[in-house]
This record gives sequence, structure tokens and C-alpha cells, in this order.
Amino acid sequence: MPRFWNNPEFVRHRRAELRPVRAITVGVVVLLMCLLIGLACWSYEQNLLANAQRGAETFATDAWRRRAEFLEGHLARNTWLLLYRWLVGLQGIALTFWALFSCAQSVSGERDHKTWDFQRTTRLTATETLIGKLLGEPILIYFAVLCASPVTFIAGLAGGLSFGAVISVFVFFVVLSMFLGLGGMWLSTLLESRTRGVGLIGALALYGFTLAIYGMHDSGLPGLAAMSPLTGIVDLLGFSPDSRLGMALPPLFSRQIPWLLMSVLLCCSFSAWLALMLVRNLKRDYPEIRPLSRWQAVSCAAFLNFLIYALLSPVYQLSIEGKVGWFPDAKSVAVFAVGMNGLILFLMGLATLTPQERLKVWRRRRVTGESNIFADDGLPWPWLGLSAIVAYALMIWGLLAWDHTFPLEMSTLQTSAIRLLLVLVFVTRDVLFLQWCMLTRLRQPIVKGALFLGLYYGAAAVLTGLAAVSSEHGAHTMLALLTPVQVFDPDVHGIAFPAATYVGLALQAGAIGAVLLAITNRLQRPLQRGAAA
Amino acid sequence: MIEFLNLRKEYDDVLAVDDLTLTIPQGEIFGLIGPNGAGKTTTIRMAAGLLGPTQGRAVIAGIDVAQKPEQAQQYIGYLSDFFAVYEDLKVWEYLDYFAHAYKLPEAEIPGRITEVVAQVNLEVKRDAMIRGLSRGMKQRLGIARAIIHQPKVMLLDEPASGLDPKARLELRNLLLSLRNRGATILISSHILTELEGFCTSIGIMEKGRMVRSGSIEEVTAAAASARLVRLTWTGDSLAAAEEKLRSDARVSEIKLAAGAGTFRFGGGEEDLAPILAGLISAGVQVTFFGEMKQTVEELYMKLSSHEVM
Repeated sequence: MPRFWNNPEFVRHRRAELRPVRAITVGVVVLLMCLLIGLACWSYEQNLLANAQRGAETFATDAWRRRAEFLEGHLARNTWLLLYRWLVGLQGIALTFWALFSCAQSVSGERDHKTWDFQRTTRLTATETLIGKLLGEPILIYFAVLCASPVTFIAGLAGGLSFGAVISVFVFFVVLSMFLGLGGMWLSTLLESRTRGVGLIGALALYGFTLAIYGMHDSGLPGLAAMSPLTGIVDLLGFSPDSRLGMALPPLFSRQIPWLLMSVLLCCSFSAWLALMLVRNLKRDYPEIRPLSRWQAVSCAAFLNFLIYALLSPVYQLSIEGKVGWFPDAKSVAVFAVGMNGLILFLMGLATLTPQERLKVWRRRRVTGESNIFADDGLPWPWLGLSAIVAYALMIWGLLAWDHTFPLEMSTLQTSAIRLLLVLVFVTRDVLFLQWCMLTRLRQPIVKGALFLGLYYGAAAVLTGLAAVSSEHGAHTMLALLTPVQVFDPDVHGIAFPAATYVGLALQAGAIGAVLLAITNRLQRPLQRGAAA
Repeated sequence: MIEFLNLRKEYDDVLAVDDLTLTIPQGEIFGLIGPNGAGKTTTIRMAAGLLGPTQGRAVIAGIDVAQKPEQAQQYIGYLSDFFAVYEDLKVWEYLDYFAHAYKLPEAEIPGRITEVVAQVNLEVKRDAMIRGLSRGMKQRLGIARAIIHQPKVMLLDEPASGLDPKARLELRNLLLSLRNRGATILISSHILTELEGFCTSIGIMEKGRMVRSGSIEEVTAAAASARLVRLTWTGDSLAAAEEKLRSDARVSEIKLAAGAGTFRFGGGEEDLAPILAGLISAGVQVTFFGEMKQTVEELYMKLSSHEVM
């Protein structure tokens, strides 16, 4: 970040996109828009005042008079505050959207124009390229926000907000746009030039997802909502928790902290992971991209598990129906954590899939005794197991930490161990299947592999439905054999799972063995000479 | 200057480069020839740091490219068969970007830009937007980009395939001038005549392996089983010439017609003089007598048809 204004990549974008004529046009348009919005706000407040004054004259009550006097006395302040809110809202949406979309085309766009190789052969390090692109790609919107910032500042201060409150808007904008920009850039590195259109759809989906995270503020992990641009904007606009848009503060280790701080904490920590993945891979050739090393993946899994317990909201209410809330007891927290670990382990598995070439080298070295199953170029399954062990250790820690709120029973830990094992086995099977897909000549093997997995789970659902026609028990057995849904069965105590669960576990272990065999067969195939280009 | 040590690259089920070991000394222009899929591009991309080798090392100026890519890049100029440029920049801005990206000292950059712009004859377009340049000009700009940091090693992957004849000639002259300044050049090309008289040494690749490499003379000499000698004469001395040639055991494949012909000679270059003297003494009025050198193209065709492998 130091001296980013001298970063060649940043300078290139600045020169290309902020030529004097364009910069002046953008500045004038932004100021004109501010003026127009200001006039609209003034007109709105004038209307409010006129209505109140008419009401006071017509009805001649104290309430109407007080309202009219209040609006008259605060006319200027309210107008500025309204302008401030509009400007912050519009800038927030425009900035986050633009940052994500422009960065989502950064690398794939260069691949498309065939300029990427030339950039990769320069002496720019991956970090320099990353900073240059992150700050350079959305430079036009940064400039527009910069032009609007004096007006925003004046409006905020004149609207009665503190200097700190106004400055925090810009801190939030910077942090969130960096986070979304990194997310977009990561998406972009995963796309070959021919899938650039898919990338734009992906970016749109990602933006929609971040907006939808806003809904998390009313969940068991309310802090996650801080990663949505909407949350920050709503919070920064200064609505109180009692108002329609106001939200209660999110807990971090059961202490309530401001939304802005939560946004900064989450966006910075997730940005750090994204930056790590980008720096590792930015200068690599497309087939050699591997998001994380083995240890990094385990650390990432630990971080995400840690986050679950840090952001957990144990609040429940007492009503006539008894205790209500997201997590009434330790068992429900454990089930939630196991479910989340299914997703976390799958993502970590995806992040550590080994490219075919590296896997072949690993196998040859393993045959000669020069490598082992924990090697970085080996199969991902040993590391998934390690991630699951770390997740279980963190679960024990988390549940013990919440012991004062949810008393922990030993049977909960036993049940959770089996649940986690179930999840691990299914995730390992699916990840190894995707690894096998990578060894085939399928185009877009991960996408196609994921579709095959979707088909598998769809077929399992159909079979369960068919079994349900004859008996409920049959449906449960089918589910236990083919899917990890048993994880969410609330009636299990200790390790007393139905026998079908253990049979299903053995069945899936067999499936893992079969996939491993298929992978080994693929790796043993003889090489053809030439014709690679 | 360029060293490949047991370099190997696998893609999926394909062995693109197989155990390539090669040293190209400083000042050499090494032509890499071979059919499509022989592994030329893969080799050059590994040398440029764009691809990681499956095994082995590519070393440029003593630096392992895979281990220290940014350090190695300061010595490498890379040019490929496409000349993609940033259309939304001006010519000087484009070169300035790469000069900074190659981390040239700030004070040297303006002078260096002026120098390369002159080298590729783009002085009048220095302040023009790239999107307004013709295709040929963009190609020249691409060449300027590759040499902006005065690389000691030029890696050229089919650089002339998209160039017009004039630009090809200019590229050739530019590369020769770079070589005269001590640069080492590795160039792959399909247009074999282009490499002839330009490369100091060649390597022939096929199916990922280096079939033969060395100076053009060495490679052609090693590939040829015997020298091909051409002979012309005046008058009616066909029978005398044929009789004289047949009397030497080292002569074979005699193909003579009225006034001209060829034969193969198994001896050294110095042994040709007595043959000529013998022909003259036998009354043959020789007007031309000399060895026919094999062209790179002939040699390549011969090698790729497995005549001499």
C-alpha cells in the first residue's frame, strides 16, 4: 500500500480512465447531482413545513403548532441531514457495486485481451499488481466519491452529526470497497477469458449475496450482517435501534460493539484471506492456481470456526411458549456448528484441490518414498481430517466458553463427534470426487463435478421420497445411507445413532475407497508425447 | 546465459517437454524449430516464468526463473506471436508503464522511452493514442515494450508470424543489433528460411524432445551422411568425368547429365581439391565445382521424416 500512487498498475488505470476532460466531466456531473439532490431535499422539507403550518392554522392544536415550530426551527438542519443520507446511500451503493464489478473483470479482462502474459513477465510482484488493480480498476468511482465528499462532509456536519460520525462513513466505504474489490478480483482470477461473461454473472450474484447478508442481523450470527453494504449504510445514516431501519448492536464474544467496528473487523479479516489467496496465485498460470496451501486451509477452517463462536448470539426470550431464540441450548449450538463445518470443510477441500500435474509428481515421489500423504501436492483428504479435528477442538472450546449460558453435557460432545465424522466422510467423498473430475479431460471439471454431485443428492432425495411411500422408517434409512442429513436429527443422545447411520458411514467409506482407486488409476495412465500447445 | 536443466513439463496426460537440457551462451541467437506441439512454446514460456516446470530448472543469467521470477524478469524480454497492447493509453504512457513495471531507475525512463520509440520508428506517434495506431505500428510498439528494459535475454515465440515483410526485416535488424550489444536470443519459428543466416545455432524439437542442437554447420554436418557436390563443365566430357569420379571409392550417388551433375563425397573438405584436380587432368573443362550446403529447411524436413534420427 505505501506509495500506491506510484504503483505502475495504478498509474496506468489513472492515466487511462482519468484523462482531464473525463475527470472534469465526472466532477461537474457529481456536483450537479449533489445540487439537484440538495434541491430535492430542500423542497421536501419545505413541503413538510408547509403541511405542518397549514395543519397548525387549520386545527390550531398545540401538537400541530409544536410540530410546525420544530420543523421551522430545524429546517436547515433537517435539509442537510436528508441530503447527507441520500449522498451516503447513493455513494455506498455505487461504490461497492462498481468496485466489485470492475475488479471482477480485472484479471479475466487482461486474459481476454491477451495482455496478462506481458504483465506477468514484468518485475511487478503479485502484491504490487494486486494493489495496483484493487485501487486502479475502480478509480473512476473513487474519483466520483472524492468529488462528492466535500458536499457529504458539509451536509453531515451541518446536519448535526459529529466529525467522527461523518469520517466513519468514509472509513466504512474504504474498508467495504476493498473487501468487495478483493472478492471480485479473486472471482476474476478463477475465470478463463472465455468464461468472462460467467464472471460478471458471478459478480452480480456475489453482490446480491452481500446485500442479502443484511438479513443476518436477525439471526444467530447477527454480526455477519456487518459484511453487507446495506448494514453499514443503514447504521451510518444514523437511524436509532428503535426506528424501522435501526438495528440492535451485534455481539462479539457476547459484548455488543458498533456495527462499523464489526464491519471493519470482518471485512479486514476476510480481505486478508482473499489477499493471501490472490498473492499466492496472481502470477501463476491458470491451471496452476491453488487458492491455499494445506496449512493455510486448516488455519482458515479454524478461523471460520472461531468466528462462529465469537459472533454467536445466545440471546433467547422467555415467552408463554417457553424459551425461544436461535440457540436455546448447547445441543442446538453444536448442531449448527457441525452444519457450518460441512460448508467450511467443503470450501477448504475446494481450495486445496491439487492440479493434475502436481498430483502426478507427488504420486511418483510417493512411490519412491520421497513424499508422504501429508505433502502439499498430495490428495486433500488428510488435511480435511485435520481441519475436522481442529473444528472439533474449537467446538469444545466454544461450548465451554458458553457454558454459563448453555450448560454443556458430555453426551452433546459425543453426539457432535459422530456428527462431525459423518459430515467429514461425506465432504471427503465429494471433494475426492471433484479431485477425480480434475484428472479427467472434462472442461470446467469443478463446475461439472459440482453438477454431478447436485444430481447425486437430487437422486437421493427422489429415492427417499419413493421409500417414504412405503414407510417413514424406510425414508429415514435411505436418508442415512445416502446423505449426511442425520446430522440434524435432534433426538439423538450420545452415540446412539440409528444403525442405518453407521451402515451409511461404512458405505461412504467404501465410496471414498473407490474414488481413491479411480484417482490412482488416472494417475498411472501413461503420458502421450507432444501436441500440448 | 540461458540454461535448461532436465526441464520437463506435463499437461494432463501429455508430456510437452521431456528432460530438456540445453545451454545457450551469451551473444548467441538460438533458433528453436519443430512442428506444432513439439514443445517450443512451452519451453519458451517456462523460460519466461509464465509456466512452472514439472521438473528441472530454467536458469536465466544464473537465476532460477521458477524460484526468483521477479529477479529473473529484469533480464528477460518476451515477445509472442500476438501483440496485445493497452488501447486506452498513449504510446509513451504504454512504454512508461512497462519501464516502471520493469523497475528501471526513474531518471533513465524518459531517455529510454525516446530511444526505443526511435528504434521502432514511432517517433511521430509518441503522443498518439494506441487505439488509433495501425496494426503494424501496434506490433512495433509490442517490440518496443519487450526491449524497453534492455534485456540480456530475448525470448521470442513465433514473433514474426503476425508481421508484414517490412516489419519482419525491421525485427530482424533490431534483433541483430541487440545481439551485437551482447544479448542472447532464443527464437522459435515456423518460417525456417527466416532463421537461416540469422541464427548462430539451432535446436530441432519434436514431441517434446530436442532431436538435435548446435551451430547450423554442426547440425547439418552431423545430419548429412556425405557431402553433396555440384559440378558443371563445358564440352563433351561426360564419360571422362563419370569415369574419373567412379575411380574414387569415396564418391557415390553420381548423377551426371550433359554439362552438369552432382555426386556425394564421403571425405573431408580438404579432400575435394584432388578430386577437382583429377577431373581437370582428365580433360574435363570444369566451370563450377563446389559443395552444396544443406538449408535449415532441408535439414528439418530430413530430420522430421526420421531420415537421420
